[in-house]
Amino acid sequence: MATSDAVTQDLSIQRQSLLAWWRSGDPWIWLTSAAVAASVAAVLGLIGLLAVNGLAHFWPSQVMAIEYERFGTKTKIFGELSERESISRRQFMEANPAFEEQVPETVERWLIKTGNRQANPPDFRWLFAHDVIDSSVPDDVIVVERTEWGAAYGLLVNIEQDSETVDTRNLWEEFQARIARTAAIRDEIDALQEGSINGINYELESIRLEKRRRQLDGNHEVSDLEAEEEVLRSEYAIIENQVFKLTEQLERDTAGLALADGRVIQIPIRAIIQAWMPNNMSMWGKLWLYFKNLWNFLTDDPREANTEGGVYPALFGTVLMVLLMSALVTPFGVIAALYLREYAKQGPLVQLIRIAVNNLAGVPSIVYGVFGLGFFVYFIGGSIDDLFFPEAKPAPTFGTPGLIWASLTLALLTVPVVIVSTEEGLTRIPRAVREGSLALGATKAETIFKVILPMASPSILTGMILAVARAAGEVAPLMLVGVVKLAPTLPIDGNFPYLHLERKFMHLGFHIYDVGFQSPNVDAARPLVFATALLLVLIIIVLNFTAITLRNRLEARYRVSIN
Amino acid sequence: MASYDLPKISNRRRLINVITARVIGAGGVAVIAAIVLIMGYLIWVILPIFAPTSIELLDEFDQLPEDVLAIGSDDSFETVTLLRSNGQVEFRDPKTFEIANQAQVSSTPWRDVSLVFPTTDTYAVRDVEDEVRFFRVSHQVRYIDDQRELEQRVEPVFLGTSYQLPQDTTNFDTYRSDEDLRIVARRSDGSLLLVEFEEADDDFELEFPDENTIKGPTGHFRTLFGPRGRFLYNFNVETGEYQLILVPSVLRPRVVQTASFAIDGSAPTAIEPLLGRHSILVGHESGEVHQWTLSPSEQGSILKTIRVMSFGASIAILASEQRRKGFVAVDAQHNAHLAYTTSDRMLVSIDLGAIPKVLAFTPRADRLVTYSGAQIRTYAIENEHPEISWGSLWGKVWYEGYEEPVFSWQSSSADTDFEPKFSLTPLLFGTLKAAFYAMIFAIPIAVAGAVYTANFMSPGMRAWVKPGIEIMAALPTVILGFLAGLWLAPIVEDHLTSVLLCVIVLPLGMLLFATLWSRMPSKILSACDGWSAAIAIPVLVFLIWLTLEFDQPLANLFFNGDAKSWMYEKLGLEYDQRNALIIGIAMGLAVIPTIFSIAEDAIYGVPQHLVHGSLALGATRWQTLVRVVLLTASPGIFSAIMIGFGRAVGETMIVLMATGNTPIMDLNLFQGMRTFAANIAVEMPESEANSTHFRILFLMALVLFLITFMFNTVAEIVRNRLRTRYGNL
Repeated sequence: MATSDAVTQDLSIQRQSLLAWWRSGDPWIWLTSAAVAASVAAVLGLIGLLAVNGLAHFWPSQVMAIEYERFGTKTKIFGELSERESISRRQFMEANPAFEEQVPETVERWLIKTGNRQANPPDFRWLFAHDVIDSSVPDDVIVVERTEWGAAYGLLVNIEQDSETVDTRNLWEEFQARIARTAAIRDEIDALQEGSINGINYELESIRLEKRRRQLDGNHEVSDLEAEEEVLRSEYAIIENQVFKLTEQLERDTAGLALADGRVIQIPIRAIIQAWMPNNMSMWGKLWLYFKNLWNFLTDDPREANTEGGVYPALFGTVLMVLLMSALVTPFGVIAALYLREYAKQGPLVQLIRIAVNNLAGVPSIVYGVFGLGFFVYFIGGSIDDLFFPEAKPAPTFGTPGLIWASLTLALLTVPVVIVSTEEGLTRIPRAVREGSLALGATKAETIFKVILPMASPSILTGMILAVARAAGEVAPLMLVGVVKLAPTLPIDGNFPYLHLERKFMHLGFHIYDVGFQSPNVDAARPLVFATALLLVLIIIVLNFTAITLRNRLEARYRVSIN
Repeated sequence: MASYDLPKISNRRRLINVITARVIGAGGVAVIAAIVLIMGYLIWVILPIFAPTSIELLDEFDQLPEDVLAIGSDDSFETVTLLRSNGQVEFRDPKTFEIANQAQVSSTPWRDVSLVFPTTDTYAVRDVEDEVRFFRVSHQVRYIDDQRELEQRVEPVFLGTSYQLPQDTTNFDTYRSDEDLRIVARRSDGSLLLVEFEEADDDFELEFPDENTIKGPTGHFRTLFGPRGRFLYNFNVETGEYQLILVPSVLRPRVVQTASFAIDGSAPTAIEPLLGRHSILVGHESGEVHQWTLSPSEQGSILKTIRVMSFGASIAILASEQRRKGFVAVDAQHNAHLAYTTSDRMLVSIDLGAIPKVLAFTPRADRLVTYSGAQIRTYAIENEHPEISWGSLWGKVWYEGYEEPVFSWQSSSADTDFEPKFSLTPLLFGTLKAAFYAMIFAIPIAVAGAVYTANFMSPGMRAWVKPGIEIMAALPTVILGFLAGLWLAPIVEDHLTSVLLCVIVLPLGMLLFATLWSRMPSKILSACDGWSAAIAIPVLVFLIWLTLEFDQPLANLFFNGDAKSWMYEKLGLEYDQRNALIIGIAMGLAVIPTIFSIAEDAIYGVPQHLVHGSLALGATRWQTLVRVVLLTASPGIFSAIMIGFGRAVGETMIVLMATGNTPIMDLNLFQGMRTFAANIAVEMPESEANSTHFRILFLMALVLFLITFMFNTVAEIVRNRLRTRYGNL
């Protein structure tokens, strides 16, 4: 405003005497600029904090061998330095009231991730820098990522096959080869599990329900079903046997890992996901591993009560829920906006409705969650169960939180966004355009479909994307209507009808809440929470920017066509 | 008027046109209806809370046995159990009162029967030879060929073994937990015999008791066990004198209080314990019922009157519900009054025709059975939510076991005799407290930021800053909550002094820097005009870093080395790690973009000629801002703040993750709170559908809805007015 005015600018920027400068009130303007600076710094700081903490986790950082002395006992450990900070003498004394020696003004302490949770707990420990006697970075330390008990650090000393030591020249390569072998077997088992076993279980459950349904109908003829069941059970037995044999093969190898204190532990190779030598890797090797870890994070299932592994099911659930929601919200939002703007008689009533719709965007999301639980889940879902799924009772089918109810609840939550945005687009279209179309003989419907809607499409799209961005970040209502911390199956699978709307699902936002606040091992889980948060933020920022860019582009395009 | 031939429209096009209109019309109305439905549905769920209570006579049966000692029933009122003094237990169908099943439990006639406290199915009977036996009455539902069948059984417990009371026992009471069985027998000389059996499994024989006799006053006394069997109430039913005896073990009983239930010398007319026996109901001739409760005091727990309810005529008999803190009082004119203690409500009255000998609620308290010698009447009761009243939702309530009336929210507990505390006040307080601190943090930054962005920022920078801050509005609050709870809270706790001093240091530091900057050559000043926010970022970051770095010296200087203990000692403020300060910052960040965006629009929209006029008259930029721009835009800023407040009130995840969620009422900046939204998120998934708790959570949702709706509507109206005003200026 004032800035665009060259005259004012020149007047105000003359260097003044200090007193005049103070009197003019310019210092207060500086304070307002500091407020903007604070907001911008907060946004950048938040995203930066997430990025640094979330991305650093996947980097294969170096492993140190540390020897320290505490209360007269010497301990040797391998570990990654995960945090380094100085604390004041007061904080130190609070934590160590029994400490008698003179303490310097500040004390440096290190948080070491030592891994080896079962052999050497705890897996995170604080060390004081002045306790450390010796630290080095040995070349041959390996890091083993495992399916259970978290990471392990140590020196590879041997490989055993059926409890006999394998004679090999290159231990490391042999080790990698055997990890690859078990990985292949594991994949095979997973394929059987996911493909055949789950399918058969699903069919068996369907047969059980069909039997029950016939019973309820008073039809006690179930021999055909029993025959079918018999076939399935024999198939099941065959596959189970295959799985059993494969599982036996998995148990063949173990690797001996020497810990820093000299103990050797035998780790079954079946439990190893991957292993690397962080201190003996090229930059490219590290980069390769980094991106591999990143990829695994996006595509793996979570392990160890969600504190390790990936977020694939949560990512999948979030995307699927948001897609379903936008499929529901867009048509309804657009229809409502068309009705309000093009069909309804403009008057105080419509104005009132418009204000109400506007306000609904500001109603807390938890209120929608409460509504969704009461109305959708208990009332509608319960009625559906009574009418269509009496055979499954007393277990509820739709009368319990699930994907469809979550999508519907969020659709209701975001419909005001779409309505408001679409209406805005409709308002901007000049009256002349509508009249022109009608004058050329088009019906009202044709005007709307061929002229109005295409011209309003940028706003519709913006509304939709904003709705999606809001829905992707909502957690509170989902906690009531369908999200769980660990869903056994994805809502889409190979069993008819493929998309299971009644299933519960996982969600990135809830994952953050759950892992960050409900998990037993917060230190181990925190980097993953940061990574998940970063992923969610990126999705939302990308969606928002897409909305902004698309709107600008489409606006430009249609502005040309109007002229 | 000339007529034109309109071009012919084909039927198909006409049809499409009509269908479109219909579909859009129907769809539009449906969507709007759906939105209205939300509020309607919330109210629909809440309404039953306020539904009136009703009681009506269901059936009346004559010619029943005259020796009934006690009456029981199963959950769904499919059987009524009559315990007769001839040693028989009869199961009767409540619709016909025909005998469905019966059992002869003993051949010796019974003197009296009572339920073993606190069970609801185990009876202790004393026969005429003063032997006490125990048995359980069970009702099991079985499905035979999908046919539901109710089977009643009488099962002996303690392997049918008994305990011989002294021959001169006037009355007795029993208590049983997983660990022990206790019996108290009052003898005619006033002394009390206390008996304890350790371990009280069903298949445990009653042998090797600990026994102890203590002296007591003579008179017409009744003795009852209190909560956990660790108290004894010994009261004179004629005069109202009572003794409260603490029994940590039967070998070491101790009288803690001797007093009287009588008021102004008038003796009580009926005395009955309430569910859980934390309270004793005492009826008086005046028609008043006093609730006496074990209340903590300096001498330990003592009985104290916490509530007086008045029913008109002299109280003849009282009976309490089995699962709630409700009771029925029958007066001398045989009117029965249903009432509820916690909510202090007298619900409904009915004439019973006669004063009954035995009066019993069914377990769900949906039926009342009265027995007056050979005649039984059953009454149907509709009384789903008696624990709620306006007073119990919003006012202070004197709960059992409390020293004084309090505001308290405590919806559930593991105990079956728990008194739910449904006061919305602490939660409303927490909601407003969280929103208040968030607004204190957000308003200065957001409004000042909007002022600068709209007025002084160079257009190039504004094009980036505005969407940048608005992105923050889309930032999932779960992330803000996570960072606040796990990252910010420990930092603030460790650097409390610096964080507090930031409030002073940052503005002063900024002013100092601005003063120095104003001494720069005019050329640089001109070049950097409109970009001062960008220059301020590093300065700000530096100042924050500097303050945090000097935390310890500052703490030594101002707070004797430790801000937390200084505050506790000097001001009595306790410190929680997750507190209102953290909420203020985190939720403040969440509402800044909302306020910023709307306020910036309002300020940016102030007509240019006003500003130019002011500047042309010689006002400085600041004077123009304060006296012209802000004044004109103030309604817009006000509405921005309203909308921000609405958002802060309903925010869930931040509060859930960054406070301790304790429902306390304390304005202290360094303590947590529990808000409506967080409470719903925590308790809703565990709440049983259609229970009182469930409906109250819906009520909270409605309150939230109304608060935000109200604020948003006010804001919307103000904004609309402002738009018109800008148009007219």
